[in-house]
Amino acid sequence: MAQKRKTGEREQQVTQKTLHSVDEILRLPAIAPPATYPLETLVPEVRQQTPAVGQRATRPDGKLHGLGQTRYIDDLAFPDMLYAKIKRAGIASARIKSIDTCEAEAMPGVMAVLTGREIPVNSFGPSLKDQPVLADDRVFHVGDGVAAVAAVTEQIALEALDKIKVEYEPLPAVFDPLEAIKDGAYQVHAPNGNIYARKIIKKGDIKKGFAASDRIFEGSFRTQMVEHAPMEPHAAIAMWDANGRVTIHSTLGRITLGRADISRTLKLPLNRIRIVATIVGGNFGGKNEITLEPVLALLSKKTGRPVKGVYTRTEEFIATTTRHPIIMDYKTGVTKDGKILAREVRLVLDGGAYCSWSETTLGKACILSAGPYNIENFYAEALVVYTNKTMTGAMRGFGAPQVCFAYESHMDDIAAELNLDPLDIRLMNAFEEGSLSPTGQVLQSVVLKDSLLQAARRAGWKETRP
Amino acid sequence: MADVTLTVNGKLRTASVPPETTLLSLLREQFSLTGAKLGCDVGDCGACTVLVDGNAVNACLILVGQAADHKVLTIEGLATLEHLHPLQKAFEEHASLQCGFCGPGVILSAKALLDESPNPSVPEIRDALAGNLCRCTGYTKMIEAVQDAARAMRGEPAKPGV
Repeated sequence: MAQKRKTGEREQQVTQKTLHSVDEILRLPAIAPPATYPLETLVPEVRQQTPAVGQRATRPDGKLHGLGQTRYIDDLAFPDMLYAKIKRAGIASARIKSIDTCEAEAMPGVMAVLTGREIPVNSFGPSLKDQPVLADDRVFHVGDGVAAVAAVTEQIALEALDKIKVEYEPLPAVFDPLEAIKDGAYQVHAPNGNIYARKIIKKGDIKKGFAASDRIFEGSFRTQMVEHAPMEPHAAIAMWDANGRVTIHSTLGRITLGRADISRTLKLPLNRIRIVATIVGGNFGGKNEITLEPVLALLSKKTGRPVKGVYTRTEEFIATTTRHPIIMDYKTGVTKDGKILAREVRLVLDGGAYCSWSETTLGKACILSAGPYNIENFYAEALVVYTNKTMTGAMRGFGAPQVCFAYESHMDDIAAELNLDPLDIRLMNAFEEGSLSPTGQVLQSVVLKDSLLQAARRAGWKETRP
Repeated sequence: MADVTLTVNGKLRTASVPPETTLLSLLREQFSLTGAKLGCDVGDCGACTVLVDGNAVNACLILVGQAADHKVLTIEGLATLEHLHPLQKAFEEHASLQCGFCGPGVILSAKALLDESPNPSVPEIRDALAGNLCRCTGYTKMIEAVQDAARAMRGEPAKPGV
């Protein structure tokens, strides 16, 4: 589909004088003054032969936090800095018929506009490279960026976004992963199918295990999409030097990986990319991959000025990665005393619009889905599925919290049905030193039973039992 | 453009800004006082908390015209070169802040409480901090730190410049 984009001819007519007077009226932010408080901070001692556990550790940066002197990315300012904002699609699944940026480009104070067509390599990702920097000609979820603007103030940038006209052709969409795996479901990233990764773990023989069981229990569990909601939104500042190197200050956590992704998307050698990461206002996995960095780099290149971009709280929810919702089906065969003989698990992960960290999450969820229990016969099948929703990625646990909720709830259900103490049924099945994980790993330093017993004693567990 | 004059951290400050500028924007961009943070810009998270005439408010919800001729205290105005405010000292000792982003807002909310109620109960502290969201630390250590600071403040003379 051809994309209409007229160059603002009036751009040529905007003189230096006009630009200067606009800057003057709109007041660029001043550079922050140097800190005025004594700055001695505690330097942590090099690790000695004494154990760290049980010691009181003082954060070296704790004092500056309390003084409000810690500089996060949004607290940094550079001379002649511009502000960038990204226009979000607002529609879950569509083809972009045209983007008209001419009115936005003509606004006084708007220095540059960017669309997906200008990204040298418009795809990236930690495993599958299916995520665009800005939407090309397709939109896959509501938070997809379709255009970006750099202006002398944030307010002008936001107003310019409204003036960008995008024409969409709505396409079908799928939002439920169980619908997405059915035959005939709309294929989100056609011609690829909706199931974009699968993992199977097979141990022993579950048919035999179930046959030998006194009782078989089934349970179905679901968890919801969760947003990290760090107090500090995603933020970055990009600028170039005279040698064609880009420096990006960013809230990005994995800067080595980020550098590789920026190298790919900007088609720039690695040694021309410098990423400066500093104290971050919360990450929790949400700042594990690039978001607006390539956009800012390209806007900075176009304008010749540093460009800062900070996500709004809305963008944090719709345009950054979230925790995978998982649909978990459990079937467990037990003896009448509560010993688990067989377990069968099916996991369907809602994989959002793009892969992001889904393969890692899939693997972890699948391996951990048996729970910390000795199960001789185990079968798990896990799928991750495309839907037209916010992309799902890394969030503390990577799949572990979801399956933990499932297998522990399931255990409680079984204990209740068998009239067993929930603690006793766990002690009967729990891992011990040398136990094998479902994938055959020999486990060491296993203190599960000791921990449970100590916790039970301290909580007065036995006293509270009927 | 609106001309505003207000007292910030004990000093008279003026600025000429568009009238729709928020107090948060004024503090961060015009006066380079970046202690107050932008977390949501709609008054939900409390990261922008400052004290106006002693009351804890969300600076992102106040237009500069409303703040004109009032007294504003930001986190930068709390300590002096020689002394940390007891709250800042207690927060450091109790390791109450991890990423620190919510810190300035929480400390100012706590200060507003302690200035009014020198011996607050735990539910009162919770109530005072209810408008400040923290995603890293949780609130246990913050509550302990506030109680510690309250003890120190009851036994020491008031700090100048407040």
